[in-house]
Amino acid sequence: MGLSVWVVMSGLTLIGVVAGFLMHRSDFCMAGAFRDLFLFRSYRLIRPIVLLVCLSALLFELCRLTGILPIYPFPWFNPPAGINLFGGMVFGLGMVMAGGCVVGVLYKMGAGSLLALVAFLGLLAGSALYAEIHNWWVPLSRLTVFPTRAVTLPQWIGGSPTVLVFVCAAIGGFFCWRWKRDGHWTNRNPAEGFIPLWFTAIGLALLSVLTVLLCGVPMGVTTSYAKGAALLESWLVPEHQATLTYFTATPLQSVLPLDGILRSGGSGPHFDVVAIVQVPLILGIICGSWLSAQLLNEFKIVWKVPFNQVAMVFTGGVIMALGSRMSPGCNIWHLWGGLPLLTMQSLLFVIGLLPGAWLGGKILQHVLLSAAPLKRLNS
Amino acid sequence: MKTIEIDIRGQICPSCLLLVLREVNQRHRELMDGNLCLVILTDNRAATGTIPDAVNNMGIAAAVEKLAGYYRIIIQGQHD
Repeated sequence: MGLSVWVVMSGLTLIGVVAGFLMHRSDFCMAGAFRDLFLFRSYRLIRPIVLLVCLSALLFELCRLTGILPIYPFPWFNPPAGINLFGGMVFGLGMVMAGGCVVGVLYKMGAGSLLALVAFLGLLAGSALYAEIHNWWVPLSRLTVFPTRAVTLPQWIGGSPTVLVFVCAAIGGFFCWRWKRDGHWTNRNPAEGFIPLWFTAIGLALLSVLTVLLCGVPMGVTTSYAKGAALLESWLVPEHQATLTYFTATPLQSVLPLDGILRSGGSGPHFDVVAIVQVPLILGIICGSWLSAQLLNEFKIVWKVPFNQVAMVFTGGVIMALGSRMSPGCNIWHLWGGLPLLTMQSLLFVIGLLPGAWLGGKILQHVLLSAAPLKRLNS
Repeated sequence: MKTIEIDIRGQICPSCLLLVLREVNQRHRELMDGNLCLVILTDNRAATGTIPDAVNNMGIAAAVEKLAGYYRIIIQGQHD
């Protein structure tokens, strides 16, 4: 492993630590943002996501205009397809049932949440399940590809990205300004060490840009969950794992800006470019959240949790993994990386998230309110 | 005065807010009259902000205090 790989992995680990720390302090829950829109008609968590996406869009565009951005649009984004919308719906359903998205479960797990660990195991199981249906899903997904070679909306309409990105960012910025004027950015949370959501949104936007500058691709984690599932299968059922196309192919290619070397990667249990750019983020987020919880004396594992919640979050993890593989891509990949560039895959994915989150909220409400809570009555 | 304690530590988000809203809706009069105190134990950091906001909007007061690694939210009486 060369020096450049070490530098990239160290830098990404540090980025992950800061991201995990911030997300724990603010309880920056992306699943909650979409869930609460429908469950409580609350915009509390959606506002910082709008800020994050708009700021990222401006920063990415500035980097592109100044030539700092290594590749535009980012690698691993493709022309849109109907499966992006369907995958977003499945993903939205899963993330609400799991109680967190693909990075939400990481920062919650780092803070000691047993249910987040169960959701994480569900993500591994769902990734393994997808590997079984991959050969059937790929030809089906090709039927839904839109008749265009354009990846981003500006490419599709044939204009410069600058105008469209700045217009979208200005509209989002106007709403952010109105929310500030109306006092929605004020920190009213009495939790110890709470960091305002707007601060974390800005921090995550900067970390997202740093990630692209360092490794050439935006933040993403789910292909490495598939790698984890493949690794487990290679230990438990190696003959079967070797027969699965999804766990043996290396379709993803990327160049690290530091050394300019083109590397390949995939979902197999190997050390490749996917492992270089994703695994350090996963470990960093868990460590950052753990550090934050330890400093606040809030790291504590509660072992006694309702069984119906265990079953629901595991199922949610499986569904979320299926959604991320079918789409392909997770909410972080599309919201923090693709949407700021107005990639059409990401636009479809985010539209799909909405009905999925609505349905997930209905199921969640039924499961949580059907069981009696632990209650003690004193007179 | 009656006290009902609900322990939601370790549970999935948003158990805390959903269960509290159900209890507050069912026992709104008792809480407003000061005949009932709801005590919520939670390790959900967001709940320390969302629960007081929600019950304040329903006219009921709420106070938050940190204990050993978790939070106690006390809901009783009228909100000023």
